[in-house]
Amino acid sequence: MGYGRFLLKRGVQGVGVVWGVVTVVFVLRFITPGSPIDTVAPLDASQETRRRIAEELGLNEPLYIQYLDYLWELLHGNMGYSYISSIPASVQVFQKLPATLELAIAASVVAIVLSIPLGVISATRRHEPADYAATSFSLLGISTPNFWLGIMLVLVFAVELDVFPTSGRAYGFMDSMAAITGPEPFFTVVTAWLASLVLPAITLGTYFTALITRLVRSGMLDELSQGYVRATRAKGLPETLVRYKHVLRNTLVPVVTVLGLQLGTLIGGAVITEAVFAWPGLGTEIIRAINARDWPILQGSLIVIGTGFVLLNIAVDALYAYLDPRVIAE
Amino acid sequence: MSEKDTSRRRFLQAAGSATAAVALAGCSGNGGEPTDGTQTTSAGGDETQTTTSPEETTERPEPETRDGYLQRANLHCHEQAPWVFLNRQYSVYGRSSDIEWEPRTDERVSAYAIEPATDDGDDVVMTQSQMDSGLDPQDHRETPTDNIVLQAYEGLLERDREGAIVETLATDYERLDETTVQFTVRDNVSFHSGDSLTPEDVAYSINRIVDPDVGIESPQVDQLIGVEGAEVASTDDRTVNVNLAGLNPIVFASFATYCDVMNKSWVESNDDAYINQNMEGTGPFVLSNYEQGVEVEFQRNNDYWDDEAAISTFTINSASESSTRVNRLLSGETDIAVNVPPQEVSRIEENDGSSISAVPSTRVLFNAMRYDVEPFDSPEFRQAINYAIDLDSIVENVLQTFGSPTGQPTLEGFFGHNGDIDPYPQDLERAEQLVEESGYAGAEIELVTPIGRYLRDVEIAQAVAAQVDELSNVSASARQVEFSTLVSQVTTGNIEDKPPWYLLGWGNATFDAIQTIQPLLASDGALTSYKNDELDSLLDEAQSLPSESN
Repeated sequence: MGYGRFLLKRGVQGVGVVWGVVTVVFVLRFITPGSPIDTVAPLDASQETRRRIAEELGLNEPLYIQYLDYLWELLHGNMGYSYISSIPASVQVFQKLPATLELAIAASVVAIVLSIPLGVISATRRHEPADYAATSFSLLGISTPNFWLGIMLVLVFAVELDVFPTSGRAYGFMDSMAAITGPEPFFTVVTAWLASLVLPAITLGTYFTALITRLVRSGMLDELSQGYVRATRAKGLPETLVRYKHVLRNTLVPVVTVLGLQLGTLIGGAVITEAVFAWPGLGTEIIRAINARDWPILQGSLIVIGTGFVLLNIAVDALYAYLDPRVIAE
Repeated sequence: MSEKDTSRRRFLQAAGSATAAVALAGCSGNGGEPTDGTQTTSAGGDETQTTTSPEETTERPEPETRDGYLQRANLHCHEQAPWVFLNRQYSVYGRSSDIEWEPRTDERVSAYAIEPATDDGDDVVMTQSQMDSGLDPQDHRETPTDNIVLQAYEGLLERDREGAIVETLATDYERLDETTVQFTVRDNVSFHSGDSLTPEDVAYSINRIVDPDVGIESPQVDQLIGVEGAEVASTDDRTVNVNLAGLNPIVFASFATYCDVMNKSWVESNDDAYINQNMEGTGPFVLSNYEQGVEVEFQRNNDYWDDEAAISTFTINSASESSTRVNRLLSGETDIAVNVPPQEVSRIEENDGSSISAVPSTRVLFNAMRYDVEPFDSPEFRQAINYAIDLDSIVENVLQTFGSPTGQPTLEGFFGHNGDIDPYPQDLERAEQLVEESGYAGAEIELVTPIGRYLRDVEIAQAVAAQVDELSNVSASARQVEFSTLVSQVTTGNIEDKPPWYLLGWGNATFDAIQTIQPLLASDGALTSYKNDELDSLLDEAQSLPSESN
């Protein structure tokens, strides 16, 4: 099987998965308690008002008609309109996506910057105090609840020391880019953008730091016991070069894969962090949509997240296949 | 109520007392169900007091006024106890010392009432728990959106801080006959775009709410109930006639709460999505930036028909986490933090630049008991549960004094409130005795409560269940459900779908008893858990009389 056919196959599989996601989120709507009418209509609305609202939202049609309608509209790029605000779901969802992407990427950077040195230290100083310190740190990272860490960081660095804003997102990446030519001073905008990003990124990144530290540690230990390490050492290569040029490089291949997939998890899993920091991203939007039973927004958000996950998977597969053609044969 | 109205009401009350003294037409007060006769009761503000003993049938003079009927309805509810009466909820705000501002009873925050106290107070930021559900002022009915749209949109009538009706875009309002009321539209008012306000805009705005064929299905239609439509009476003297299905005593109170006026041509030339992201009102602030779900920014309207606002900009953003809202206030990022929970109060009080402002809200919290299922079909049992509860302790310990105990559906200060009714005192012995009398000794009951919908709802429900459980002959527990689950059970229009005993809160922004008792306790109420002919006839009588308040 050639590389092109491999990609095509993966692409077709991806479309199937996305269709599955669409179907599942559509079905969820009917097995979830609470009707959107209850949240759109006031509590004391008459049954007549309720009936009219159901009609207006298209909820009185048979299930399969609603499903086929939804698929048809989706194929034409229409995710429907928010039950609550009447704004197109696609507009509302894609407006919130950049904030979440920024947060996920920043959290990944935090995770990489912290975890790789920690993993290397604990692998190369196995069973020494440094190793115990690093493993303890990662254990702590995994077991600390995100919301608690977030609130503590805010109390210390925002309320007490006043170095970062407590919450919110005054500017985004695009605002910073626009400030290059725009009327607002570039430096101020970029500083404000980054300052608001620091605390949520650390909060969200810590959990993944722990995860990746352990991955780097075990990967590196594996590699260090390989034959080629003994060979390079026998050649008389300095230990630093052995560790960082050869061993670490090989360790990082699976780490990159995990990071790629984690980015998808981060996008979907930033909900709690977004709530603590009032971060205007998809997570906040999803919570709001769940509370309001605003199904078009909820479906739209889940489809975007699901599709993003599928695309990341395909990209990782494609990269793997490119680097290691044996994957295609399998 | 304006001053004039208040004095008129007092006059009518006095007149009512005089006639009530000679009116002997009896009203049994029993409604077919035995009442707890040993309690000292009074029949309402405009009536003479009557003390009844167990042997006596309660005889009370027929009320003369709408106020009297509503007070009697409240007395009936107190005696028959269709609810466990809990508390009035307070609105608690954190406020920075950069501004001068006092909160309003109806939970709405108008930036027009804010004044700068320091140089930093000119640009004011408010953080509430959620953002708007779209900017169309007629396509919503909940406080977070009200707070946003009221900065830019205005109604014909509005309310002042105490809840009294004031003229806004109407300069005059009157009842022409039973089915017609007339508003005179203020002259020289312009929309933010510069278009002048016309009577046609006003009539169109009313019709857009009450007539689903004019654009949208407005959730405010049930607030303007009985309003059939509006038409321009005369453009020369700027009057608009509103047609009613019948006498509607609270029509002006309703207009003072809902019905913002929109620009007809602007609405007609834009789609729903645009109207929900832009504003074209007549209010003291002009929308300058809208980021859906994130932030709304207003600037002072320099062409406002009344005095200009004292502050230059007003920004509203949101944080669903209460600790985040408080942190924003403490670090000076926001000037008003809405909905501060009791456990966060001390952090704000201890901070130098901030303080707490609390005001009794329009929301009452109660535990509804279904009249049609055992053991709640017994009035004695329902009273027993009320006697089992220590309301003062709940207010003090669970709400940390940000609430006040209630003994009737209508809150103090509302039209129809019965000032002679005190909340049930805690009396365990009496409660146990009443349970025995009801024949339901040994009953096991379960209180269903929503989670996090009202201030400390779960904690209140747990306290109630624990206190009832103290009775030797009743065992009680609390069960938590998601609010939307409870809503889907209570709104079906069928009493049998509701849990037998559940906690609910009810906000009533019209300041009139009818908007609480009618939907929740009348036989045909949208959310009723109670049915009683006497209460129904009291409400019918009340609705057949014009309100003394307007």
